[in-house]
Amino acid sequence: MIDGSLLQFFTDPILRAPTIGCILMCISSGLVGVVVFLKKQSLIGEALSHATYPGVILGAMIAGVFEIDSSNDVLITIFVMLGASFTALIGLWCIHFLQHKVKVPSDSALCFVLAAFFGIGLTLASQMQFAFSSLYRQAQIYLYGQAATMIDIHIWVYSILFVCVTIVISLFYKEIRTIAFDREYARSLGINTRTVDHIIYLLIVIALVIGIRSVGVVLMSAMLIAPAVAARQYTHKLYITFILAALFGGVSGFLGNYFSISIGNALAIHFPTHHFALATGPMIVIVASILCLLSLLFAPERGLVIRYLRIAHFRYHCLQENLLKACWRFPEGKTIPFDEISKYQSLSPTYLRFVLASLAWQGWLLKEPAGYRLSPEGRAWSTRIVRLHRLWEVYLVDYLGMGVERVHRSAEEMEHIITPELERELTLLLNDPKRDPHSQPIPKEFE
Amino acid sequence: MTHLKEPRENALHIHHLTVNYDQTPVLWDIDCSIPSGNIVGIIGPNGAGKSTLIKTALGLVQPISGKTTFFGKSLEESRRRIAYVPQRESVDWDFPITVKNLVMMGRYGTLGLFRWPKQADHAAVNHYIEAMGLTPYADRQINQLSGGQQQRAFIARALVQEADIYFMDEPFAGVDMGTEKAIMDMLHHLKSHGKTVFVVHHDLNTVETSFDWILMLNLRLIACGPVVEVFNTDTLMMTYGKTYALLDDVLKISQARSQGIKNR
Amino acid sequence: MTYSNPYTDQSFIGFFYTLLTRLWSLLTGNAVPDTLATDEIQLLVLAGVAISCAILGVFLVFRKMTMLANALSHTILLGIVAAFLWTQSHHLANAFEGVVNETALLVAALAMGLLTTFLTELLSKGFGLQEDASTGVVFTSLFALGVIAVTLLTRDAHIGLEAVMGNVDALQAHDMRLVYITVVINSISLILFYKEFAITTFDPALSRSFGIPNGFYNYLLMVLVSITAIAAFRAVGVLMVLAFFTGPPLTAKLLAKNLSQAICLAALFGIGSALLGVALARHVLTAYGVSLSTGGVCVCAIVLLYLGTLICTKWTMKTFMKSPLSS
Repeated sequence: MIDGSLLQFFTDPILRAPTIGCILMCISSGLVGVVVFLKKQSLIGEALSHATYPGVILGAMIAGVFEIDSSNDVLITIFVMLGASFTALIGLWCIHFLQHKVKVPSDSALCFVLAAFFGIGLTLASQMQFAFSSLYRQAQIYLYGQAATMIDIHIWVYSILFVCVTIVISLFYKEIRTIAFDREYARSLGINTRTVDHIIYLLIVIALVIGIRSVGVVLMSAMLIAPAVAARQYTHKLYITFILAALFGGVSGFLGNYFSISIGNALAIHFPTHHFALATGPMIVIVASILCLLSLLFAPERGLVIRYLRIAHFRYHCLQENLLKACWRFPEGKTIPFDEISKYQSLSPTYLRFVLASLAWQGWLLKEPAGYRLSPEGRAWSTRIVRLHRLWEVYLVDYLGMGVERVHRSAEEMEHIITPELERELTLLLNDPKRDPHSQPIPKEFE
Repeated sequence: MTHLKEPRENALHIHHLTVNYDQTPVLWDIDCSIPSGNIVGIIGPNGAGKSTLIKTALGLVQPISGKTTFFGKSLEESRRRIAYVPQRESVDWDFPITVKNLVMMGRYGTLGLFRWPKQADHAAVNHYIEAMGLTPYADRQINQLSGGQQQRAFIARALVQEADIYFMDEPFAGVDMGTEKAIMDMLHHLKSHGKTVFVVHHDLNTVETSFDWILMLNLRLIACGPVVEVFNTDTLMMTYGKTYALLDDVLKISQARSQGIKNR
Repeated sequence: MTYSNPYTDQSFIGFFYTLLTRLWSLLTGNAVPDTLATDEIQLLVLAGVAISCAILGVFLVFRKMTMLANALSHTILLGIVAAFLWTQSHHLANAFEGVVNETALLVAALAMGLLTTFLTELLSKGFGLQEDASTGVVFTSLFALGVIAVTLLTRDAHIGLEAVMGNVDALQAHDMRLVYITVVINSISLILFYKEFAITTFDPALSRSFGIPNGFYNYLLMVLVSITAIAAFRAVGVLMVLAFFTGPPLTAKLLAKNLSQAICLAALFGIGSALLGVALARHVLTAYGVSLSTGGVCVCAIVLLYLGTLICTKWTMKTFMKSPLSS
């Protein structure tokens, strides 16, 4: 039945509902997750997702009371979603009440509401287990998610909600952006922060309610966090963050669903006697977490691995500049033998040879039989370093009043950092000084 | 701006201290000595590193470079001789504890693991509670105290340590006149017994009447010396006046480079 | 070999009556009942869980670490799986039904507690990620791994549910061992380190200035939380143990005047909730023939106790406040 082609996941009548459903759900939670992340309220998602559980059970129970058949999936889904929204909103009210009226610390309020609502849900579920057992099984799939049994009509229901989320975010984009970055400023602009807060909470509830079918109550908060965190590593611009979060969410939704079905099928082949469907929730969360981890490590600007590479590159750059500076000290035009250079360096000879060779290869040094000589470009570069060093020393002593004996250390560090713009500012500020605090001449600014 | 060399032992010596807080430079190359037996004010604009200086000296914050010594010895060797009064906001005053137990916490440093407070400790606690005028409140819960009473309890807690150096972070902030006087009297009392007290202070008007020695900070050390010598309009202007934009820029770039972040 | 449960067909009041009669006969020495009834086992296990959770929960609430406890209670699932792989128990399902290797579980709890705290700190301090997002990413991914591992190893998705919900009604006498070992561990830690826990909770800056290692006590607390959660998972499941960690301490917070009072009150409220829960569950079974999850009913009892105390304290405060104003 499954011939392994990815396209099939979108066309096959059994596969397409779960696939598209998961993708839509995870895109919604990715988008809302960005807002939650900016407001630093990721744990509210955790508390509210657990608070939906009693609502799920209640919805199913009410469906049972109305004697709706357990095969009428869509109607049950609607009851469940309404129930979930209802208890999530009550949970939200309880959290607010505890935090603001009873002055309970915010994390305790979240944790208590989380555990209390979930416990109440489990009590109701245990009652339901025997009263409406087939509906009970339907409700339990919301614990860890089960996309596999979704049908086409579900796609329509979730699409409508997804469109709602997108519209609300677009309408309130400016307000969300301002409030997330500076609440007081937003208020001073006349933005009604309380209304926008309420709208954001509503968005969270909708995203949760959409998502619990595919990811489940227990893990849903992950989908509000991981795609947003991943997206944030790539950019500071808000709209790009939204797009990337939607992308990561969608990919997680698809791949998670794909893996859970493939592995489920593989297991069914090997263990034909056991009948079960691998829950999609954990799979989706794992894919999302892996994407998140990869982004944290390798994102172009902020990824940790990238940062370490940059630090290593900078250190190497400083090493090169220090070597060129050492060469500058020798009389102009003279060929410096290797031993002279290595005398004051603390590097191993092999490494030193390597760095010198690379400097020569790039044209800053000229390699001659007797040793090395600064090329014209090399001389220009090293002269600039010396100039920056001495300018900085003048700044420290004359402008900041530091003692002369202490400025050399700082200048050793800053000479590698001062940009041409800062150099110009320094020159202007200090009136183009000709001598440094040690009475050494300061090289002229290079044209 | 340098200070006169004192023949008495230096209570605190700060060696070339550079400290970052939350990835921005807060203190840069601070170097000074303060002799013992003085009431020392630490002033500077907000974010100038006043609290950070104390926290670094006490080992709560790790410096990028430099160190502090107390009477010539390291922090570890001198812990018993140092007492700390943090800012009032740093603590949750809803915690269920009475004034007496709060002050008793001051002894926990010397008690050590697995030991319980003894009679002598209880006597000391009662003594210092009385010294700060809190005896009627000794068994009261701390969330029932006023701001001034809370501050006095904090100071009693430090006094119970019977230290030689006291660090106080904004003890005069938001307290009533009675408490202000009580604290000031206690500071003079400590000084008369040869103790050294460092006070992070925010009110420039009271500097000359309160302190003998002053430390003026704004990212760098502007001045360190007796109030009558170094507290004047010039130093005040340097402390509170211009910000060193160029220095800030360069330091920020240096930070970014050492963390591998590309500058925008 | 069947014995009749003296609590069968008891109503709410009848439950307490039977309990007290049996206790009385135990204390006075006549007609010592030789086996514990199921209800009593449930009660004892839940009481043990309540005591451990009260001791630790008070500190969790005041250190604002309850959501970290939430994270830990999820990640120990992975620890449970690892424990059983390690002891090469081929039937992971047994973990949830009876056979338990206590040392393996405790070591697993220790490992997961340290791992979770370490990973969260790595993300928040090493990668510079927000604290709440770090916790969220770490525990959800570890929990997801745990659920998948459980499903794959037992080839039965239902087991994953049991880990979350627990099954009080399947408790047997030997389950008390792990719970009471945990009570002893927690009590000893409390007595040994009472001062240090108190000061690192109330004023970490001061304790740091004394040279007291705040980090050590943080980790110790987290390890104890993991051990407690793993001991409790068979009874109440990993999520409801959170109700015991937060509910009774919050209730105690409304009333307590000092720390030791808070811990004692929290333990009392926890045990009270357990009593109410078991009695109510029995009553409902007798009166309506409906078998509710006892763990869930205990959580409801915790909530009711909290609301009751809240109303009482606020109501007394309101009447107290009214008198001077209305003069």
